[in-house]
Amino acid sequence: MEVEKVSEETLKEISREMFVVRDTGVKEEGERLLELQIGPAHPGSGHMRILAWVDGDIVVRCDPDIGFVHRTIEKLSENRAYIKTIPLVERPSLLDTTPMTIGYVNAVEKLMGLEVPPRARYLRTILAEITRIASHFYGIGILSIFLGHSTGYMWAFGDREIMIELATMLTGARITYAYVIPGGVRRDMPQNFPDQLEKGLRYIERRLKEWEKIFLMNPVVERRLRDIGILKPEIARIYGVTGPNLRASGVDFDVRMAEPYEAYDEIDFMIPVAEEGDAYARGLVRFKEIEQSISIIRQALKKIPDGEIISPQISRLFNPLMKKIYSESRRVKLPSLMATLKPPKGEAVARVEAGRGEALFHIVSDGSPNPYRFRFVTPSFRNVILFKYLIPGHRIADIPAIYGSLDYFPPEADR
Amino acid sequence: MMVVLGPISIPGRFIYDFFHVFILPGFLVLLIAVILLIWAERKIAGLVQLRYGPLYVSRRIGGALQLVADLIRYSFQEFIIPERADRIPFLTAPALALLFAIVPIAFIPIAPGIAPPINTSSNLLIVLAVLAVAPIYVVLAGIASDNKFSFIGSLREVFLIISYEIPFFISILSIAMIFRTLDLSELVYLQSSLLWGALLNPVAAIAAYIAILRITSRFPFEISEAESEIVMGPYTEYSGLMYGVSMGISYIKLYIYSLLYTIVFLGGWLPFQGGMGFVGDYIIGSLVIIAKASILMLISVFLRAVYPRYRVDQAIRLGWSTVFILSIVSLIWSLVVSYLVGRWL
Repeated sequence: MEVEKVSEETLKEISREMFVVRDTGVKEEGERLLELQIGPAHPGSGHMRILAWVDGDIVVRCDPDIGFVHRTIEKLSENRAYIKTIPLVERPSLLDTTPMTIGYVNAVEKLMGLEVPPRARYLRTILAEITRIASHFYGIGILSIFLGHSTGYMWAFGDREIMIELATMLTGARITYAYVIPGGVRRDMPQNFPDQLEKGLRYIERRLKEWEKIFLMNPVVERRLRDIGILKPEIARIYGVTGPNLRASGVDFDVRMAEPYEAYDEIDFMIPVAEEGDAYARGLVRFKEIEQSISIIRQALKKIPDGEIISPQISRLFNPLMKKIYSESRRVKLPSLMATLKPPKGEAVARVEAGRGEALFHIVSDGSPNPYRFRFVTPSFRNVILFKYLIPGHRIADIPAIYGSLDYFPPEADR
Repeated sequence: MMVVLGPISIPGRFIYDFFHVFILPGFLVLLIAVILLIWAERKIAGLVQLRYGPLYVSRRIGGALQLVADLIRYSFQEFIIPERADRIPFLTAPALALLFAIVPIAFIPIAPGIAPPINTSSNLLIVLAVLAVAPIYVVLAGIASDNKFSFIGSLREVFLIISYEIPFFISILSIAMIFRTLDLSELVYLQSSLLWGALLNPVAAIAAYIAILRITSRFPFEISEAESEIVMGPYTEYSGLMYGVSMGISYIKLYIYSLLYTIVFLGGWLPFQGGMGFVGDYIIGSLVIIAKASILMLISVFLRAVYPRYRVDQAIRLGWSTVFILSIVSLIWSLVVSYLVGRWL
């Protein structure tokens, strides 16, 4: 894709023109402004602070203040073996962990030149889509409770539980799976997993119809979300917005399509795109993505080949006990060499489409057991800028509506 | 009539009034109604939302103990007064709001042939006037808290209450206009000879019901206490028992407004006509009226499971553009009906 260079003046001009959604008649500065510090301990703020300057009920200026859940994943990883960073990268975005591990592991695999067997790639894809559904349900739940729709909140968290149970069945862990390892996956799927998965997917499909009745077609929800926080496609492009928020503005970009990783190039799916760019469209796109994820999982289950789940480059290092465990229960015990994995000198970049958007991983290796530098760009960090531009001109009550519609997850930005 | 208890003789009227104020529509039933209402709200919402919580504490009695537990917790929690708050208004405002929400009980008749403790020929007006005072103290509570969120929350409450109380009063008075009386007991009596208020003027019934939903902070109009937007509205700084009281006011108001609505629109204790003596009338009449009011209250709390909340400007616009117009239409409708009824009679 060709990148267009934009000067700062143009950017400011565009900002002035584009971001004023409504002419509020309120001046930027003045005595009438009241500064509201929403958060970091406010029911509607999450782990962040939103500084809002309001005139009456209208927000004139809004600054997101992030950094309240600092984790320093990048710095920590520089003192750790490569393999030990896998559980670390899934911490920031606790709700869709697998895409993050896939991204990191892909970068490590690129560094080391590891080939991943097809079965492992399909398993990764299935788990990534399961976590995507769970993540979208989480986002929808938060949007619902921000609107005061407690039924939506409880339903979303209840439905999310189905996907989490399925993922638990596959990986053995509830949230932080660390299922993806360099060269493959940690274990094969259990015998009854496809049946259970199909059952779960059918349940979700049935629920989506009920969701449509109670949430999407709810007149109050429509009035709260329609024409709120309109993000124009050109602005979305300039500011590097990503994920469903970008696609809700009519930009058809998805890493799974643009730069397929894992098994996505062998699966037929479409990317839901909405034109309006408002809060309702962002919610709608996530619902449509859930439908697409269901279809991806079904296809992947149908197409999944038999065979190894770990690269032969790693499995030949197995000792007899590991081989026995692998052949009997299809579980991978990593050889001790992995603890002091020394990839050759070089750099590797990998990007993935996580639930909230594109995540980018950049590893610089100097040949030692620890990465020399690990840089990790999360989707929420790229989307947080929207608070500054979407909220002004709206009312205080729209702050949670826009926040929820962005599916912003504060810890993900503070990595 | 005098009731003789040993050496003391008590006037019968005193016993009636005591019964009225402290037991039947009064404090005891009010407290039970509020507790059951909150319980029902939890159960209904829990049923729709697939929650397990409301069943957790006392499974055998449907989780009702949870409310008692909450009440105890609120009662023993430390009550913190913010340093910069205006102490006296801060402390008295919720109490006065509560008082003005309860006082109408003394004016509302509950059974056929039995007058309320304070019986005047313009009960209806007095009840409306007393109910109209309560919001002032809610606003005072918000302003005295010295908190920006409370302040904004109280301003929202002012806007909203003004835009919904006026349509409510107009639509109630339009029924009074049909029957040409302001006496609540007589209103019910006249409905028995003609038709229920809601049937004579359905527009007024709809407008008044929407207004009740807003005045008592039910969904989709639970805007002044919007948690995700402004924490708890005017009550952000209240803790402990005062928080419990602030929470309870909207339920008490719902009870009072439902009683009023039942009398004006749903024929009060009709179809029961009385004539079973004092005890029979009191018990059956009030059971009928409370049953009708309970259905109203249950519908009101059920809406929590369906709707999110409106934005403040949308709710105000709805109030002035739709509900207010509806109430004006109901006034005109009442003029026509009252003319026709006058000719029939």
